[in-house]
Amino acid sequence: MAEFTLPKNSKIKPGRKVDAAKGAKRKKTFKVYRYDPEDKQNPRLDEFTIDLDQCGPMVLDAIIHIKNDIDSTLTFRRSCREGICGSCAMNIDGRNTLACLKPIAEVSGDVKITPLPHMPVVKDLVPDLNHAYAQYASVEPWMKTETPAPTRERLQSPEDADRLNGTDGKGPSGCILCFCCSTSCPSYWWNPDKFLGPAILLNAWRWITDTRDEATGERLDQLDDAFKLYRCHTIMNCTNACPKDLNPAKSIAEIKKLMVERQT
Amino acid sequence: MTDHRILTPMKRAKGLGGGHSGVPHWMNQRITALANIPLVIWLIYSVMKLAGANYLEFTTWLSHPLHAGLMILLIVSIFYHATLGLQVIYEDYISCKCLKLTKIIGAKLFFIALGVACIFSTLKVALS
Ligand code: SF4
Ligand code: SF4
Ligand code: FES
Repeated sequence: MAEFTLPKNSKIKPGRKVDAAKGAKRKKTFKVYRYDPEDKQNPRLDEFTIDLDQCGPMVLDAIIHIKNDIDSTLTFRRSCREGICGSCAMNIDGRNTLACLKPIAEVSGDVKITPLPHMPVVKDLVPDLNHAYAQYASVEPWMKTETPAPTRERLQSPEDADRLNGTDGKGPSGCILCFCCSTSCPSYWWNPDKFLGPAILLNAWRWITDTRDEATGERLDQLDDAFKLYRCHTIMNCTNACPKDLNPAKSIAEIKKLMVERQT
Repeated sequence: MTDHRILTPMKRAKGLGGGHSGVPHWMNQRITALANIPLVIWLIYSVMKLAGANYLEFTTWLSHPLHAGLMILLIVSIFYHATLGLQVIYEDYISCKCLKLTKIIGAKLFFIALGVACIFSTLKVALS
């Protein structure tokens, strides 16, 4: 059956408490998920109380401060610290989001931080994304054409470009592959091996709707499957979760529309 | 459900490839859902209208071709929709392949049998 509770070795135990904010005026406690596959212990939730005057305004600033000044073993991914690389996706205060875009001030009370849900954990806040990346590669996210390449650029009207960028800049090409959406989707939790999940389907749609790509039919063929595409039951968690305000659920609906269109 | 074979991530991601048969299931689920709306409203309306009716009144009502016809459509649409819906639920939540297949086949046989029994009963009343 689907797993509704954590397996025994994944149950989260209370961890250590560190008060690094003695005498501080603005304090905040961060409860951070810790797991190290090498020490064979259950994951634990460490509590770090920090002085907010010692770090920047975002949750990422806080965990960088914890790593630099309190516990250098804390492990997480980050790169751009401005919402572009998608590395710092994690679950903060019960929602999947980017730590670098999440203001600490938006969380009332303690800030609970866990890795993206329902993914294998490599260490602490770092999920194993190998499978998700392979799923991405499996939809062949590059331009495929049969017509020989033109000597100059491939023509695309501004309207054609809007299909990718969106008139509001929130089209599918804005995806940063952070996987906040896929890891908030119950269908992806239950069948990650077969369901492609919203992040990959949004990217599949990005190539299906590209006016310059000539492999539309093949792409639809590949998705025409009870699991790869149709595990999506329009629960809409994905659109709710996307920190870039994209709409994966809409992309999926567009793919389903084309599936019907080509049979009628 | 853990797969202990040594497979590359790409091999796992591609799996067995697309089944190329997702559309009819999805379409039929939606068509029967739409059809169920007027049919169920009709059923509720009829049950309310027939409240307190005796056996003869009920069988006379069901013998009318329109009522018998709608009843059979209702049976087909509801049971077909239930079969499709149950299949999706089993596929979502049961990871053991064997159990999943058994449940799906079981649901199909169950609803076919139930549907045939209901249609037969309706016809028996309608044609006697
Ligand atoms: S709309 Fe589809 S992909 Fe998005 S969360 Fe729901 S089931 Fe998942
Ligand atoms: S659609 Fe949004 S949430 Fe999903 S991977 Fe792309 S940017 Fe992240
Ligand atoms: S660090 Fe790049 S998105 Fe947050």
